[in-house]
Amino acid sequence: MAGYPGVPASPTTDSTHVPRWGMVIDLQKCVGCDSCTVACKVENRTPPGVNYNVVVEQEIGTYPNVRRVNIPRPCMQCDTPPCVTVCPVNATYKGDDGVVVIDSDRCIGCRYCITACPYGARSFDFGESYADEMQGADELQAPEWGIERGTRGGVWSSPVGTVRKCTFCAHRIPRGEEPACCETCIGDARYFGDLNDPDSLVSKLAADPRAFRLKEEVGTNPSVYYLR
Amino acid sequence: MSTACTEPTTDSRPPVTGWRRFTNEGRGHEPFLTPRNRKLWYGFLAICLIAGSWGAWLRLTQGLAMTDLTSQMPWGAWVAFYIFFVGLSAGAFLLSSLVYVFGMYQFERIGRAALLSAVVSMFVALAFIGLDLGRVERGPITLAYFHWTSPLSWEVRFYVIYIALLIAELIIAVRLHKGLVRSAHKAHRWLRILGTIGVPLAIIGVHGGTGTIFAVVKARAMWFGGLFPIIFVVSAMVSGTALLLAVYYWQRRGTGRTPDPALIQGLGKVLVAAVIIDLLLTFYEFIVPLLAFQSHDADIISIQATGPYAWTFWGLQLAVGMVIPTIILLSPLKRKVGWVVAAAMMVVVGIVGVRFNIVVPPLVAPIIDGYPTNYYFPTLGEWLLCLFLIAGGALLYSLISEWQPIHEPEPDTAADTPVADADSPTTTEVTT
Repeated sequence: MAGYPGVPASPTTDSTHVPRWGMVIDLQKCVGCDSCTVACKVENRTPPGVNYNVVVEQEIGTYPNVRRVNIPRPCMQCDTPPCVTVCPVNATYKGDDGVVVIDSDRCIGCRYCITACPYGARSFDFGESYADEMQGADELQAPEWGIERGTRGGVWSSPVGTVRKCTFCAHRIPRGEEPACCETCIGDARYFGDLNDPDSLVSKLAADPRAFRLKEEVGTNPSVYYLR
Repeated sequence: MSTACTEPTTDSRPPVTGWRRFTNEGRGHEPFLTPRNRKLWYGFLAICLIAGSWGAWLRLTQGLAMTDLTSQMPWGAWVAFYIFFVGLSAGAFLLSSLVYVFGMYQFERIGRAALLSAVVSMFVALAFIGLDLGRVERGPITLAYFHWTSPLSWEVRFYVIYIALLIAELIIAVRLHKGLVRSAHKAHRWLRILGTIGVPLAIIGVHGGTGTIFAVVKARAMWFGGLFPIIFVVSAMVSGTALLLAVYYWQRRGTGRTPDPALIQGLGKVLVAAVIIDLLLTFYEFIVPLLAFQSHDADIISIQATGPYAWTFWGLQLAVGMVIPTIILLSPLKRKVGWVVAAAMMVVVGIVGVRFNIVVPPLVAPIIDGYPTNYYFPTLGEWLLCLFLIAGGALLYSLISEWQPIHEPEPDTAADTPVADADSPTTTEVTT
């Protein structure tokens, strides 16, 4: 079954099927508009300094023989996640559906996992707020991991002082919705689906010769593929 | 109601009154400090604690937002001081094991000081890492949940066992010194047993393990690798020996007595051996990735050697921490007590630089091409909290030394002769 309550077992008809959620990002289609980053911040109501998705702008070569590549970077949801192995209290773990999750009510905030992530995909919630720039910024928090977290700044329920990360929008998946970054992408560059289903679009794209993954040499086996 | 009655006293000494009740004055122990030095020392600590309390207040009210840390640069000064003090503790303990396990009784008179330093250093280290947690109140749950693949999870348990062992050993050593044990032979055997358990615990469990916290992080070049835990253990020996040497010297001076030159020379020899091994390991740590042309390691080394922290690498870590002390301790200057002590104090400061350069540069380098290079320099609040915790550790150490005979010379060793001119330490010539 899926790693958290309420997640449907599979898009296929087989009720014993366990999905492994994955993402494919077509770099030929990405224009570097950062819409995915904005959509993510809105959807997950992440505070300043906490970014689940960023677009890395790589500059390859030296002028004038130079080209730029935009690499959108969500959490890679690694199959062998190095962030999980180092957590001293098992607060972060990989769900059966392949999504690496954090138990915000157990995380002690040691930030060991942030140092261990080869992709810089984890953020620490320092307790900063957009309240000065946006009315009602602290009135509501995203129901991360399917748990209502009330207003920001609550002593016990709030994730302030813990580590946060991209969840593939775990609260949207049970509703049959794709992650906010995929939905908003203006060039349709991001695909989301079940890598355990060989007929799914993401499985087929991940098998494409154009497909590669970031830092394959580290042996993390990410669930996010790129098409070069 | 009963009338107050005065018990007949067998003690002919005048009663100790006022705050002196809390010191070992009048208990037959040698005082920890002379009255004048006591005022200076505690006055100095009070100033440090008052200034540092501002940092503690900021930490409690603002959380980690008062630091210069970010999500890309998650560990900073407090982690550096945490590994510094774990290293001091392990080094001081290993030095005490020279006495209690390996029978080098020429160091016996600093055995208890070494054990007490080890205990207090561990408390300071845990205070640093505890306040570095985003959720301090959840710190104790690390003992409730165990994750066997996480070195940090093992470390927490090792620290607890290690502190318990240190305290037990310290109590036995103090009771042995005060003649409160029934059999001195048995007490010595227990010290040897506890020390023998403690040596692998300190090397593999406590400080090798702390190095392993970093060494398993394959995402960060210069941390990842098998040499790192060994470097941690050796540099622990370096800093622990140097600290004990300096503490012994200044405490002797503080009581207005001449430090034992032979002891200082002996510690100086242990120190220079450890520093040379440390230099060797540091050399290989840098030369191997450089000659392998590992680009990620080379980026970090170039940040370390030419970046904004280059002065800590060349100045603190190499010059002050290693090269100059080695030259002093190998040259004829080693016969002057003052120079040996100066070398030891330089080493302690230099190891702080080593610890910062372990933590900061590998995190500053961008983890993926295209990320910005980070910059980190501790805020005033971070420094003040460091000052607060370090002064707190020094205060704890001093108060325990006032209360118990930690620094008192062994009864059978020659008593130190009071020195007439207590203001010229560097001219004390050693006669061999």
